Amino acid sequence: MTWVLLFVLIGIIVVFYLVLLSIAHGTQGIGQGSEPTQNMLGLSMVTPFVLSLLFPFGIILSVIVITSSIGTEYNWRTIRTMLICSESRLKLLCAKLIAVGILMLIGMVIGIAIGFVMSVITTAIGGYAFDFRFATGEYLWNQFLQFWRSFYVLIPYVLLGFLFAVIGRSSIPGIVLGISEFLLESMITAFLYSAGDWIAEIPKYLLTVNVNAINALGKVPVKVPVVSASSQMPGLPHAFATVAVYNLVFIVLAIYIFRKRDVTS
Amino acid sequence: MTNQTTKELHSGSREGGDIVLRTISLSKRFGKLEAVKDLNLEVRRGEVFGFLGPNGAGKSTTVGMLLGLITPTAGNIELFDRKFENNQWASLRRVGAVIEEPAFYPYLSGRDNLEALARAIGGISRAKIAEVLELVGLQERAADQYGHYSLGMKQRLGIASTLLRDPELIILDEPTSGLDPAGMKEIRNLLPRLAQENRTVFLCSHLLHEVEQVCDRVAIIKQGVMLICAPIHELLAQGQMLQIKVDDPAQAVAALSALPWINSVKRENDYIIVDAPKDSASRVNKVLGEHNIFPSELTTHSVSLESVFLQLTGGDSSD
Repeated sequence: MTWVLLFVLIGIIVVFYLVLLSIAHGTQGIGQGSEPTQNMLGLSMVTPFVLSLLFPFGIILSVIVITSSIGTEYNWRTIRTMLICSESRLKLLCAKLIAVGILMLIGMVIGIAIGFVMSVITTAIGGYAFDFRFATGEYLWNQFLQFWRSFYVLIPYVLLGFLFAVIGRSSIPGIVLGISEFLLESMITAFLYSAGDWIAEIPKYLLTVNVNAINALGKVPVKVPVVSASSQMPGLPHAFATVAVYNLVFIVLAIYIFRKRDVTS
Repeated sequence: MTNQTTKELHSGSREGGDIVLRTISLSKRFGKLEAVKDLNLEVRRGEVFGFLGPNGAGKSTTVGMLLGLITPTAGNIELFDRKFENNQWASLRRVGAVIEEPAFYPYLSGRDNLEALARAIGGISRAKIAEVLELVGLQERAADQYGHYSLGMKQRLGIASTLLRDPELIILDEPTSGLDPAGMKEIRNLLPRLAQENRTVFLCSHLLHEVEQVCDRVAIIKQGVMLICAPIHELLAQGQMLQIKVDDPAQAVAALSALPWINSVKRENDYIIVDAPKDSASRVNKVLGEHNIFPSELTTHSVSLESVFLQLTGGDSSD
């Protein structure tokens, strides 16, 4: 499963780069639109571009990984075997979360590495110039921060999927509800904004708007499919704090339910 | 079996052996269903204890509570003289368990599955893993994927997993469930070996014949209530009957029915079946002789655990 999802991630990055290359080729000579696309293929844009892809696709893949990690334990009934052999349920749950967290980080690193490879290939195929002047200390530091910010905004969706997998004792509720939340909240947010008045303030306390506020720091070249007005975005401390509260609530609930619930056949 | 007899057996106990497992008024309720009611059990060190009951009797729920998988609604569990809820992990480290069909990761080999468990438990060497694989006869197939194992091999791997931590108490819930006769024989041959070295085995099984062969004591529960808990030889002795063949069964029945120390006499085809105290055959023979009735056959008719079980559980033979 993990390998399959990793190949899916690699496939998505490869396809996006090839699409960009074909767009860059197609618009060459037309006089407009080709330069931004060419820039996106450049090495300097690899990290922001890949991380921006990770936000929608990484969430889906990470939710599948985390929900499968707990859901299959129930499906295969190995949960009983493991619980009998584990010092505590909390340790088992933490081990799962840490393992998936490490997998997500590895996936992000591999994604960026593949991005670099694809950037080199597409730049060479397109006959564009290689330029390494972007790799200043400030640039690298910004990309490092953006890497961790991207990881941070994945966490609430992953924990939400995990919570539903624990509640449903299966990966399906986790996948369906975890991903649905990600997709539906954007639409709900748009409706709430359009309602105006105090109702328009509600999205500030929802997940997606705060996640978008954090993502906006990355100056990503590709817009993520969310509806939000920059003027309505919450401040950064508010955004980080709100995401942290969601993380805390999801993880505490998951642990509480997992520890209290009977494991029957 | 009369209520009085049941009560007598309840209080009857085998001497010797400290208690490794005790449940005190253990109860579990799932919504409106009371799965286990006021269960009081004592399992002694070194014995093979059979835990029997029809489907839905509460056996697996009880085992789940003993292993910390299910939280009791009321009552206490003591493992190795310590309250389970306060010392769950310390107690469970001394327990090995297989619940119904063993469950392992299908994409890992048998050995890798044991290694995963060994890491979860901690402090278990690779040599120990090899040792338990050899004990259950899986060393040659240890590198094969668990998903490709036969049911018998899965059960053996399950038993191997219980032995990883050298348990003092082994809990086996339906270890022969789903096995063919050859697989059952494999497990049956393994059980006496498990009970060696002063280990205690707590065995839930549908196979009453096998329980009868390997268990020292049994408890039978139905609808969450314990019906009986007794040494198996006492249980079977209670059901022992005399089977007598005489020329005139009617006269024999009349002669024996009048005796106060005989519980019951009934005719079955050419035989009469006498429920009398153990070792009363010579007395019965003497009484018949005094009435000029001379048996052509007089044998002790033992009941099986199965018939005791069916009698106690109201003939529910679904198990």
